[in-house]
Amino acid sequence: MRSSAYTLAVGYVLLGLVTLALFAAPLWYAWRVTIEDSRTEILQEDTQRFAEVFRQRGAQGLAAFIDERVAMQIAAERLLLLSDPDLEKLAGNLPEWPAEIPAAPGTYTVTMARGGQPVVVRLVRSSLPGGYNLLVGRDQILFQPLEQRFWYGLAAAVAVLSVVGMFGGILIRHAVLIRMDSISRTVSGIIQGDLGRRLPTGSGRDEFNTLSLTINRMLDQIEQLVHGVRNVSNAIAHDLRTPLAELRSRLEELSVGRPGPDETFAEIEGAVADVDRVIGIFNALLRLAEIDTGARRSGFVEIDADELTAKAVEFYLPAAEQKGISLFFQGQGGLALRGDPVLLAQAIANLIDNALKFTPAGGRISVETSARDDGGIELAVADDGPGIPDAEKPRVTERFYRSDAGRGTPGVGLGLSLVGAVAKLHAGSLVLEDNDPGLRVRMILDGRAGMGPEPGTAKAPSKKATISVIARLAPFVAPSHRRFE
Amino acid sequence: MKVLLVEDNERVAKFVAKGLREAGHTVDHADNGRDGMFLAVSEPYDTIVMDRMLPGQIDGLAIIEALRKSGNLTPVLILSALSDVDERIKGLRSGGDDYLTKPFAFGELLARLDALIRRSQGSTTETTLAVGDLRMDLLSRKVTRGERVITLQNREFKLLEYLMRHVDQVVTRTMLLESVWDYHFDPQTNVVDVHISNLRQKIELAAEPPLLRTVRHAGYMMTAGG
Repeated sequence: MRSSAYTLAVGYVLLGLVTLALFAAPLWYAWRVTIEDSRTEILQEDTQRFAEVFRQRGAQGLAAFIDERVAMQIAAERLLLLSDPDLEKLAGNLPEWPAEIPAAPGTYTVTMARGGQPVVVRLVRSSLPGGYNLLVGRDQILFQPLEQRFWYGLAAAVAVLSVVGMFGGILIRHAVLIRMDSISRTVSGIIQGDLGRRLPTGSGRDEFNTLSLTINRMLDQIEQLVHGVRNVSNAIAHDLRTPLAELRSRLEELSVGRPGPDETFAEIEGAVADVDRVIGIFNALLRLAEIDTGARRSGFVEIDADELTAKAVEFYLPAAEQKGISLFFQGQGGLALRGDPVLLAQAIANLIDNALKFTPAGGRISVETSARDDGGIELAVADDGPGIPDAEKPRVTERFYRSDAGRGTPGVGLGLSLVGAVAKLHAGSLVLEDNDPGLRVRMILDGRAGMGPEPGTAKAPSKKATISVIARLAPFVAPSHRRFE
Repeated sequence: MKVLLVEDNERVAKFVAKGLREAGHTVDHADNGRDGMFLAVSEPYDTIVMDRMLPGQIDGLAIIEALRKSGNLTPVLILSALSDVDERIKGLRSGGDDYLTKPFAFGELLARLDALIRRSQGSTTETTLAVGDLRMDLLSRKVTRGERVITLQNREFKLLEYLMRHVDQVVTRTMLLESVWDYHFDPQTNVVDVHISNLRQKIELAAEPPLLRTVRHAGYMMTAGG
C-alpha cells in the first residue's frame, strides 16, 4: 500500500543518498588528485637521484647502486629497471623491460603481470646519457586496500542510511496510519449517522492532537445543531400541528354544519385566533433563527443594562400589580454593555414575563443586575413560584420545551430558549437555580465586547461576595412599587 | 384619501383594497413594480402601501428610493414578509415611513396608514394637546381634565401623549409598544391593556364621560365623542 508516509520515507532516503554522493564525490576526486600528484613527484625525485648517481659513477655504478637497493629491499615497493640502449636489463627488480612502455620518456600508468597477476603500476621513464634507460615505478597494489576501504565505507554509509531511513519511514508511516485510521474510522462512523462519536485525543500538543481537538469541537457544534434541528422539527410538528388541527376542524365543521350567522362569526374569530397563534410561533422561530446565525452581532451598540432592565420592570409593573405580585428591581447603576438593544430588551422581558406566568398571586419577583468579577454583567430574575425540578432545568432552554407546570398556560415554549440564544449571542450563558422556593434565572453577559470567551462555566460569586456587592448598591426601586408592596 | 396599493398577491391586494375602500379611501392598485412606479410618479397620492418584493425588475425599495430622489415625499407603508430587524431598518432607511410584516391584521394596517396620513398633514410644533376637556401641556408636562389635575408617571405621560396626538384614530397595541416603549416584539401577555386600564382610571373618573375607547380586534382610540 502506498501512503504519503511511505513516499515521504523513500524521499528522505533518496535525499540522504544524494547528499552523501555530493559529499563523497569531491572528497574522492581531491584525494585521488593529491595522491597521484605526490606519488608522481616522489617518482620524479627518485629518477633525479638515480640520474645523479649515473652522472657521478657511470652506468656500472648506477647498476651496482640499484642492485644494492634491491638487495637491501629498501625498494620493496619500488619498481626499478636500468637498461642499456638496446633495452637489455642491467639492474633492477623487474625481470625485463616491459613492452607496454612507450619509447619516449614520460610518466605512464600501465598494467603488467607481476607474480602471475595483472597489476596497475605507475612508471617514470627517463633517458640517461649514452642511451641508457631508467624506469622508476611504484606498485599501485599498495594503495588498493585504501581505496577499497573508502568504497566500503561509502557503501556502509549508504546501507546504514537506507536501512535507518526505511525503518524510520515505516515507523512514521505506522504512527501516522494509526492516527489517520482512527480519524477515518470515526469520521466514517459519523457519516453513517453515529453523531456521538469523537476522535481520540491525548494530552500532547502535536499537530494530530490539535487537529483532533479542532475536529471534535466542530463535531460538538454539528451534533448540537443537528440535535437542535431534530428537536425543533419534532416540536414544530407538535406545536404547529395542534393549532392547525384545531383550525382545520373548526373550518371543516363550519362548511359541513353550516350553522347560523352568530355561531359562524364566533367560529371565524376562533379561526383567526388559531392562525395568530401559528404566526406567533413562526415569528418566534424566525427570531431565534436570526439570532442563531450570529449575524446580529454586527449591530451591537453601547447599552446601559441597568436602564434596559429598569424599563422592562416598569413595563411589567402594572401587570404584576394586577396579578397581586410584588415586582422589585435592584440595579447597580451604570452597567455598560455592548449588545443588541432590541434582543436584550426582549430577553429581559421574556424572563419577567415567564416569572409572572408561574408566580401565584401574593408572590414576589425580584430582578437584579450586577457587575461580575470577570468584567461581565449578570441579570437575575428570581420568583417564589413552583420552580423547576432539577432534572428539567437543562431542558427548559430547549426549543418548545414546556414543563408540566407550564402546560395549559399561554405561550409557545420558546421564551427561555430565546433568552438562552440572546445570552449566547452576547458570549454569555443562562443559569437556572433553585430560589428555595421558586426559580432563579441568571443571564450572564460578557460586558466587554460580546465576543470574548464564554464565561458560561464561571461560578457565581460566593454568598459573602454577593452580599457585599448588594450592600454597595444604591437600591433602586421602581417608582410606583410602594403602592402594592 | 387617495391610496396607491402596490401588491402582487391578488388575494391580499383584493382584501386590502376592499378594506381601504370601506374605510372611505380611494384605492388604485398596481400588481407589479413597473406599473406601481408609473402610478406613483404620475398621480398625487396621500399615501402608498408598497409590497417589498414585487415581480419584474423593480422591487418596492427601489421604487421608494426613486420617489425620494425625485423629491416625492408621499408617506409609504412597506409590507414585507421579511421580519428581521435588519430588514426593517433597511426598509425604513430606503425612505419608507413605516414597516408592517406579513401576515398582518387589517386593523393594524389601517391604523398605521391613518397615522401616516395624519403625520404628513399635521404640524408637530404644538405645545398643548386637547381632547374634549382633557388637556396636556407639553412644556410644563401638566395634564388636566376640566379643573382636575392629573398626576402621571413618565411612561403614562408618554402613552397619553401618543394617544392624544392620534385623536380619533385607532392605535394598535403594536403601535403603542413601538412608539411608547420602543419594543419591537410581542410580549405575549396583555401588558399594554393593563397600562391602558391604569391610565383610563386616572383620566376617566366615574362621573366623567369616557375618552379612551377600546376598539375590538384593533386597539384603542382617543375621542372626545365618547
